[in-house]
Amino acid sequence: MNRWLTRRWPAPHWPSIRGRGRTDLGPLLLTGAVIAIVALLAGAVPALLRAAADNAVQDTVRRAGHDSNVLAHADWERDDGPNGGRVRTAGLADDIENFRARATYALGPDLDAALLPPVAVVNGPILSVSEGNVPRTFQFTYLAGDLDGPDVTWVAGNAPGPAVPDEYIEVPYDGPPWPVQVGLSEADAAALGLGPGDRIPVKDGQGHDKNVRISGIYRPADSADPAWQLAPALLEPVPGADGVGTTRFGGLLSRESLPDARLAIDEDQLRRTVHFVAEPDALTWDATAALASQVVKLKAVSGSSVREEPLRWESQLDTTLRAARARNSAASAQAAVLLVGVLTATVLVLLLAADLLVRRRTPALSAARQRGAALPDLGTELVIESTVVAVSAAAVGLALARAAAPGVHWAWAVPVVLAGAAAGPAFGTLAAARASRDRRQPANPTARRWIRATGQLRRTAVEVAVLIAAVAAFGILHQRGIVPAADDGGTGELTGDLILPISALALGALVGALVLRRLVPLGARFALRQALRSRRPLAVFGAARAATTAGRALPLLVLVSSTALASFALILGSTVTRGLADGAWDTVGADARVDVGADAEAATPALAERITAAPGVDQVVVAQVTDSARVFSESTLLAPRLVIVDTAAFQRLLATTPLPDASALARLTAPGPGDVPALVRSSRGELRAGTPLQLSRDDAPAIRLTAVGTAPSVGGAGDVVIVDVAALADAGLPAVPNTVWVTGPGAARAVSNIDVAADVVLRADVLRTQRVAPLTAGLLRLAWTAAAVLLALGLLGLMLAAAAGASERWQTLTRLRTLGLRPRDARWVAAGEVLPPVVVAAVCGPLLGALLARLTLGPLDLRLLTGQAADPAAVLPWWLLGLLSVAVLAAATAVVPVESALRRRDRLSEVLRAGE
Amino acid sequence: MSSEPLLSVRGVHRRFGTGPTLVHALRGVSFDVAAGSMVALVGRSGSGKTTLLNVIGGLDRPDTGTVHVNGTDVTALDEDGLSLLRREKVSYVFQSFGLIPVLSAAENVAAPLRLARVAPAQRERRVELLLELVGLADHARQRPTELSGGQQQRVAIARALAASPRLLLADEPTGQLDAETGLSVMALLRGVVESEGVTVLVSTHDAVMMALADRVIRIHDGHLHEQAAGQPYESTPDVG
Ligand SMILES: Nc1ncnc2c1ncn2[C@@H]1O[C@H](COP(=O)(O)OP(=O)(O)OP(=O)(O)O)[C@@H](O)[C@H]1O
Ligand SMILES: [Mg+2]
Repeated sequence: MNRWLTRRWPAPHWPSIRGRGRTDLGPLLLTGAVIAIVALLAGAVPALLRAAADNAVQDTVRRAGHDSNVLAHADWERDDGPNGGRVRTAGLADDIENFRARATYALGPDLDAALLPPVAVVNGPILSVSEGNVPRTFQFTYLAGDLDGPDVTWVAGNAPGPAVPDEYIEVPYDGPPWPVQVGLSEADAAALGLGPGDRIPVKDGQGHDKNVRISGIYRPADSADPAWQLAPALLEPVPGADGVGTTRFGGLLSRESLPDARLAIDEDQLRRTVHFVAEPDALTWDATAALASQVVKLKAVSGSSVREEPLRWESQLDTTLRAARARNSAASAQAAVLLVGVLTATVLVLLLAADLLVRRRTPALSAARQRGAALPDLGTELVIESTVVAVSAAAVGLALARAAAPGVHWAWAVPVVLAGAAAGPAFGTLAAARASRDRRQPANPTARRWIRATGQLRRTAVEVAVLIAAVAAFGILHQRGIVPAADDGGTGELTGDLILPISALALGALVGALVLRRLVPLGARFALRQALRSRRPLAVFGAARAATTAGRALPLLVLVSSTALASFALILGSTVTRGLADGAWDTVGADARVDVGADAEAATPALAERITAAPGVDQVVVAQVTDSARVFSESTLLAPRLVIVDTAAFQRLLATTPLPDASALARLTAPGPGDVPALVRSSRGELRAGTPLQLSRDDAPAIRLTAVGTAPSVGGAGDVVIVDVAALADAGLPAVPNTVWVTGPGAARAVSNIDVAADVVLRADVLRTQRVAPLTAGLLRLAWTAAAVLLALGLLGLMLAAAAGASERWQTLTRLRTLGLRPRDARWVAAGEVLPPVVVAAVCGPLLGALLARLTLGPLDLRLLTGQAADPAAVLPWWLLGLLSVAVLAAATAVVPVESALRRRDRLSEVLRAGE
Repeated sequence: MSSEPLLSVRGVHRRFGTGPTLVHALRGVSFDVAAGSMVALVGRSGSGKTTLLNVIGGLDRPDTGTVHVNGTDVTALDEDGLSLLRREKVSYVFQSFGLIPVLSAAENVAAPLRLARVAPAQRERRVELLLELVGLADHARQRPTELSGGQQQRVAIARALAASPRLLLADEPTGQLDAETGLSVMALLRGVVESEGVTVLVSTHDAVMMALADRVIRIHDGHLHEQAAGQPYESTPDVG
């Protein structure tokens, strides 16, 4: 007959499919449940991370504050008049309006949507108030938003008016100071002790008097209006804005007085800027790349306009967004690493489940085969069954993911579905094919050896392939990391070239498990040899069972890789948790820190004494901490954080905290003539030990410092200079402490109601904020979830392996019973079989996890999530890892008693009959 | 030989299942076997041979009836008592050998001796002797998978004899072997009855095997029919 005609499509026998489904409902449901749960996890996690990414971007921008604003500056058209003077531009406010519109247009629609409506700010120079003994400064400001600046009510006097009626005026350059009217806030006016009609005694940098007069006192309609944030001195005096100990006052200009303000000061001293304040809530992760590149583009074209006064753009928004993107990429890569681990363990468990199913079915399959069922038909039937189970389970899981998360990513579920759909049919068809071959091993030893050799070759090939993949994965991981290239064009999605490095962890776990799979049979054979020398029969039988079953690959692979991966997840979680705690210590420097306001610095010592007296306070250290201190190294100006502190007390404080100790602090008090010793720290390496430094002062010669060592990090600042308070006082600069560090259980309470104008920073608060940051919280949750799921998978694997081996185990035990083994002794022999792989997994799994953590945590860039300067060192949570081991061991020790309880009623005859 | 029979089976009934699936596998079986004899138990498939051997060896319990082995009431023993019985008096040989795959032939034979805590030196002597007896002295160090089926069954017989039992129960020991190998295994059993003084009760389908037995007990639908030794199985009348 024509061969064409004999070929046909496989014809599944539907009643068989239904029958098999009914008999094996339990294992099939279990498989389905595993697929559904992991599909839920794999589907929901990327979507949740995506949502967290939006939150994280908004959070980052919110925290960046002013740094994330976009600013456009523009110079003025010159106001030279025809007669060699300056012309008063009555319509200057309209100019500003035009400028604001121009900047908004140049911004482009995308950025415009992500930013609040712009506010144009026109600022005068910083003038000094010539009366009073404390340094005070003054600046007049014009604010113009969509509605002409924030609303105010005039509580006294009037809004500033024009100095002259609206007519053409040209003012000579060397004339008297031009008058300008400003409004003052109630607080500013009270602090200055001035009222409407008064002249504010201000001078410019050259000492020229300015004619600034108060037209009225105003009260803001809404002091929370973001426009005020751009010139806070317009609400109340601002301490420290122009240097330590200064206070700045602000004067509000109106449309009418703005032209006078320009004439009141030198040409080019009035600056105009359009401020676009970022609106965090309008930001999404998707938009970040485009926005960042738009900002970069704006900054690049700054000053290149030809028709009008060119716009100069200034913003850190692009850096902020890029940082957020980097953090997001790191988080999604970290999540992907954990997910791949979970998926790997799941695939192994599914293989084990399929193996169990096929063991149960082998008799039926062989019978079907002997009745003449064709292999393709059997295979098709099994494929139909497993596909229905896998696909419907995955659909349920993904549907649940859809309900639980904003969106769903199905791609991650694919490997699980494939494994679920393919493993059963593959194993089943193989088993059926084997059944129809000769059941007995060939008698010919050469043929037997050949069969064994080919089997070994196959296994070795698989192992070598996994090993090569793992080596490649680790190579790439360490070379390029797993954070996707953060170019602005990138979508931030994980791309194909990242699959290998992201799988490094899972591959590493597999390699470890495969190595153990090679070692365990050797160990079992060794144990058997030892047992044969002993006189205990149970040891012999137990070791014999262990040696017989030690070759089973899947149970060991499942147990070892899931415990190793679960350990890794625990280590990751603990490392991040500890990193956050350390980061909070870094930021605060103690349990609590009080940053005393500039006006109240004199009260700092008394405050420190009161805090010291409070209950539960261990250490109190006062210091003067000045950011952006003016320190010259040779001729370059550096702006480090200057810390003037009692170094002995500071050292004691550091010793009682987890912060790194700084023994170099002792060198600061070493008596000696000449320069004041200082510890230095710099992020870019400009400050090195031995460098001569100069601390410049306004009204006195600079103090010479010598760097004698490396400073500890203070408050997470990159550049730090520390000097001893007494040494500096000897050199002629008494410190004005403005910072109090407090440690001890009562620290938070001790600083809770202090009567000094000060900011209180609690470590617990900082830590809490860090912990609830969207990405950090998300990754931590994922790490703990992954650990739990992996442990569950491990336990499930243990159960499945026990179930798959049960029939053979009890067969053997029954045979031993026929030799006279007592029932209770049989349990020990069973334990000899069940326990070894579990003990190996319980001991080696956590160790392997720790090893993998050492190898992979570095490239994971955890510092991006913990907010630390350097990647945190891996933290090994021994008691958690111990708990994991104990859980696995406890489950394993329960297997034998449970099994024997279940089989107590079985007669030996029935077990033997079942085995035939 | 003593007048007391080594094995005494009285009124044994064994049913399986309930209702429509009820099978009455043994229907009042009674017989005695004298010590030092080889008895063949024959019958069609499903006639109750395995069930009877299991009841005798204490692997199964009869619904009613008693089994005495060497004076011990097997049916009255608890699990530990049965374990002791198997260690000392009754041993089994199965159709599917049931050797421990990772142990050598010698270690397999030594297994019952280890359970009985026989001293190592004595144990090794006994194993050597038994392997000699079953003709496998040269294969002592080989694993079961490295032996042929007939050789494996010989190891199983040596193991069954290791603890010097009084009664050896063999359920179709030649079932997985070809005719010639089967016959040699049967001849070996015949031989150990003489050399070890053990009583053997062996179930078989094979008429040739029966010729080696001192006595043939035929079982049909749970009833016993005594038959003279040496008569071919086929020629026995089918009694309803
Ligand atoms: N555990 C059991 N449950 C139900 N029925 C059983 C059980 N054990 C035996 N039977 C039934 O008892 C009858 C006797 O079975 P037995 O195995 O003793 O026969 P046999 O003579 O050994 O057959 P074979 O020569 O095929 O081994 C059979 O009908 C069998 O189906
Ligand atoms: Mg039988």
